[in-house]
Amino acid sequence: MSNESLIIDLSANLTQVQRRNMLREAGLVLGIGALELALFLALGLMRHDMHHIPDSPFLMWRVASLGLLAVVACTCAIRSFSPTARPARGVIMAAAVGAAAIFASLFVAPEGVAERTLLERTAPASGVLCAASIFVLSLPVVTVLGALMRRAAPTQPKLSALASGIAAGACGAFVFAFCCPFNDPLYVVVWYSVGCAAVTAAARWRLPRRFSL
Amino acid sequence: MGSDFLSRLISKPSSGPTDAGRLRHAQETLDSWSSLMAAAQDGHGGAYRRLLGEVSEWLTRYFQRRLPSGQVDDAIQETLLAIHRRRHTYDPRYPFGPWLAAIAKNKWVDQLRKLSRRPLVELSDEIPVEDHETAIVSRSVLTGLLEQLRPAQAQSILLVRVQGYSVEDASRQTGLSPSAVKMNIHRGIARLAAIIEKTPDVE
Repeated sequence: MSNESLIIDLSANLTQVQRRNMLREAGLVLGIGALELALFLALGLMRHDMHHIPDSPFLMWRVASLGLLAVVACTCAIRSFSPTARPARGVIMAAAVGAAAIFASLFVAPEGVAERTLLERTAPASGVLCAASIFVLSLPVVTVLGALMRRAAPTQPKLSALASGIAAGACGAFVFAFCCPFNDPLYVVVWYSVGCAAVTAAARWRLPRRFSL
Repeated sequence: MGSDFLSRLISKPSSGPTDAGRLRHAQETLDSWSSLMAAAQDGHGGAYRRLLGEVSEWLTRYFQRRLPSGQVDDAIQETLLAIHRRRHTYDPRYPFGPWLAAIAKNKWVDQLRKLSRRPLVELSDEIPVEDHETAIVSRSVLTGLLEQLRPAQAQSILLVRVQGYSVEDASRQTGLSPSAVKMNIHRGIARLAAIIEKTPDVE
């Protein structure tokens, strides 16, 4: 087929399209996250002391850092779906937020936590369940971001997938933070990172596979 | 980003008044493409046909400088299809040029990857050559890219992929084993694709 006949075919079958709107996409992701959190809390899974967030540096750190990470990573992921976007800077920014949150964890440990052994602090049996829960809770957001990515035109799909994975992991961890009973920053850093990393790796592996510009 | 794109679009050296005229013409072209694309998004087939016609001319020049002549038409058609499938992602508030250049660059990288996967075919001495100009421009672009590779990778690609030597001949010339030559070609082309992906949009 010549270029000319291809052009004639494409213009003959032209239909009106709805333009991509990043705000609408951000609203969709936010809505999915909010719905998930509402359902989660409606099941009565919220910690009884969550209303004491302003009085507890640890709870404040946990919710604020995960919320900030989710916002930064979601913004980066949605922006990266445009062909002219360069997602590397956003991914680095999300990683910097994560690193800053880990650094801040050194200053928010509740009293008495530091005296326990490393095994007691990390509680591997519960930690694995936490990471698995974060993975499951991140699935709705990663599915939505994957669908948005396929409909859009990212020219660096691997980085877009990475950003989507970080965003979904952070959203899942944010929702899970409302019910997690552990009050140890080390536990949160280790097992939440494992959960987010698992989601990110799965998204990075899966999302670009069937994507073609 | 738009002005950067524009300055590259008219990168040939020339004197002051001609520069201004060319700049104005390029700006008008880009503005007209933005308007045509916005109309195409609303379903106007005539505007879309005119846009694709002008874009395909630009794409022909773009790919002729970067790809072997046998791959140029494939790259143009794949880019036109990508523009068609993803036309809803263009935002008329922004210039059309960077959007088009990003898609074209992506398709260029795709074609380079295909090139690296293509089986090696030895060239005959009696293959006729039609268009020297395109070959010379492609060669100058390629030389610039090859300078960014390790010498062994650049030499292997140059001998086998550009000059048409067999892997065995290249192995004898470079003193490397045939498998090392193949590995250098594979890694070199992968590295070239990565370099191109990282460079800003051109033309």
